[in-house]
Amino acid sequence: MSLPDLSDLHARGRWPPPEGPRVAIVGSRRPSPYGEAVAEQLGTDLARAGVIVVSGLALGIDAAAHRGALNGGGITVAVMGTGVDVVYPAAHSRLAEEILAAGGALVSQFPDGTIPRRQNFPARNWTMASISDAVVVVEAGQGSGALITAEAALHLHKEVMAVPGSVFSPLSVGTHGLLRDGAGLVQNARDILAVIGLGGEVLDDPLLPPERLRFALRPERDGIVAHLSDVLALSAADIARKLQLPVAEVLGRLTALELDGAVRRQEAGYVRALRRGKERV
Amino acid sequence: MLASVDSCVLVGLEARRVEVQADASTGSVVFNIVGLAATSVKEARERVRSAIRNSGLEFPRQRLTVNLAPAELRKEGSGLDLPMAVAVALAMMRKAAPPRSAFLGELALDGAVCHVDGVLVAARWLRRHGFERVFVPASDAREAALIDGVEVIPCADLASVIAHITGEQPIQPQPPTQPILATETEAFEHDLIEVHGQEEARRALEVAAAGGHHLLLSGPPGAGKTMLARCLPGILPPLELSEALEVAQVRSLLGDLSSAKPLDWSRPFRAPHHGVSMAGLIGGGAGLAQPGEISRAHQGVLFLDELAEFQANVLQALRQPLEIGRVAITRSGGSVTYPAHFTLVAATNPCPCGWAGDGRRACRCTPAMVDAYQRRLSGPLLDRIDLKVGVRRVPLDALASEPKGESSAPVRERVIAARRRQLDRQGCLNAQLKPARLRQMAALDAASRQTLERWAEQRSLTARGFHRAWRVARTSADLDGSEQIGERHILEALGYRLNDVAA
Repeated sequence: MSLPDLSDLHARGRWPPPEGPRVAIVGSRRPSPYGEAVAEQLGTDLARAGVIVVSGLALGIDAAAHRGALNGGGITVAVMGTGVDVVYPAAHSRLAEEILAAGGALVSQFPDGTIPRRQNFPARNWTMASISDAVVVVEAGQGSGALITAEAALHLHKEVMAVPGSVFSPLSVGTHGLLRDGAGLVQNARDILAVIGLGGEVLDDPLLPPERLRFALRPERDGIVAHLSDVLALSAADIARKLQLPVAEVLGRLTALELDGAVRRQEAGYVRALRRGKERV
Repeated sequence: MLASVDSCVLVGLEARRVEVQADASTGSVVFNIVGLAATSVKEARERVRSAIRNSGLEFPRQRLTVNLAPAELRKEGSGLDLPMAVAVALAMMRKAAPPRSAFLGELALDGAVCHVDGVLVAARWLRRHGFERVFVPASDAREAALIDGVEVIPCADLASVIAHITGEQPIQPQPPTQPILATETEAFEHDLIEVHGQEEARRALEVAAAGGHHLLLSGPPGAGKTMLARCLPGILPPLELSEALEVAQVRSLLGDLSSAKPLDWSRPFRAPHHGVSMAGLIGGGAGLAQPGEISRAHQGVLFLDELAEFQANVLQALRQPLEIGRVAITRSGGSVTYPAHFTLVAATNPCPCGWAGDGRRACRCTPAMVDAYQRRLSGPLLDRIDLKVGVRRVPLDALASEPKGESSAPVRERVIAARRRQLDRQGCLNAQLKPARLRQMAALDAASRQTLERWAEQRSLTARGFHRAWRVARTSADLDGSEQIGERHILEALGYRLNDVAA
């Protein structure tokens, strides 16, 4: 992979950004609630420590990282695989606007008007690595594009770090592989700051779980939430079996929790929501 | 020398009377068939001629004209062979046909009377239209004798039919076919006891059976979706006599009826391959349309595996039958209506590679691919499916440790009890309740209504989706033996709405 000429990047917003360390946070486009929460928290904490958070504006981990950085009041840079005037996925146009409004930038090595093409994204991943001082991978399954970014970082002698996940989750295969091969372990933002040689102060203790559900759950429903994981989806049948309850009843209770935003339904079943649902009770 | 004999041709599950007139008069020796006969009927000329000669009867060496009235009705099929031959023979003998009698059957060259499709349909129609006696191929006599109030004369060959009419040697009428009653211990090919785990899908199957709801099973390959679907007929109540007759009529039309057991009490299960054509699924063909898979599944289960692989237009065509329980098909030969009242069970992978959400294998699809796949499934057809559940793959090594569930028998009993509640209350299954009657028959208390409305708002439910969830809640309450729908019933119903996404 040949390195693009960085002076040749197309950009919207403030580019190059102000001086400061840059950390790329990348990962799966379909993360678990756990991965999403970690990415968002890291984004926030790094931003508060003055780090510029770099990511790819994709679904999942990328978006969570950008959003976290914005929440932390920081500058974040989106490296795009399309022209900077083509926001992909389109659902992220609002996020792109927010990045620009917060003093960040959208950059791309591709000319304006370039539409999403599969073969462009690996090149984008190289660019992402080359403009960052470190690459942090959060949840990447086998063959994930995030692993290309990590590989690029390795070639470019940048720091590669990874967040561990559940050993049950297919989304941990890539990250655990990186850790086995010597990537730095990330348990909180301080781990990253230490590696890039920044003695910044992290205001929030990153070991604290991110914004937990703040609303009170009806007591009889709490029983079910305690059995749910934030990484591995469990089916209503699994929970019914554990609680020795009829599946119809458990399904109903889970639906009530879903209505409250306390659990999320995925293809394989239910996971505990880590972020507050859209609706407040 | 003129004789006239009655017969009929089938138009879907109805028939039209055909008067077969034979006239032998002086002139050159020709045999003409007039009266809009299709090729298959014109070919009868040779069969009729040989059959008459080989039955020891005289074939006119004169100008012979057979007219099939009414002339505007196009006639197809070989069922008119027998009435034509009888008309010719009677004309030669200067005898009248027996009154209020109709003839149906194909002839072999030696005069044997052979099977024709749809004898049951014809016998039912003829009885309703005042005929008292039908002459049918001996092989189809049991089938025709399912119909009460019509004398069935089994015809082995042309000579014995003529001997019967002239009174030389009367044929013994076929005794009415007594429907063999459904036995309590009827064994089904697939029993729920073979399904390990999958409690959610089992419950959904029970709800589907109880309320007549359509069901979508979503899960990776090898999760057991097909097995679950095949268990559905076994938890449905046996067919009623009238339903069994409807099922038998469709089979009769297709020549699919077993002559040993013309009336079957188990519900049909049809699983067409995803390459099925529009004509194959909905019905069709040249001339008059033949019933398709949806009509073969009438009163039973239509299973569509790999729903996303079916042609989009084929699936679109399912909408009307799903809604009204029958299908009207127009072809060059005219328009026919077939019953198509079935429970749809569809199965699909969650994504193109099939492994999204699987615990052991990672899904390799991009979010965009999954989106496109889901979109292909969504829309009007999915909107008509009440229950959507995920089916998870149970790895082989874990299969043994999965709890065994109930067998089909107790589930079927609950289903029958729940169906009885519905029929006593409203005369139809919950899935067929129109919104106005739903409001009347399934009143919601304040908490239930609020929950349903909250979900509807959160997930931007269509009015149709709203009513579907409501109907499913009605069924959940009926399975509970409860007249009043509670919040837990609504919540369970919403739990089967896998595809609603928060706005």
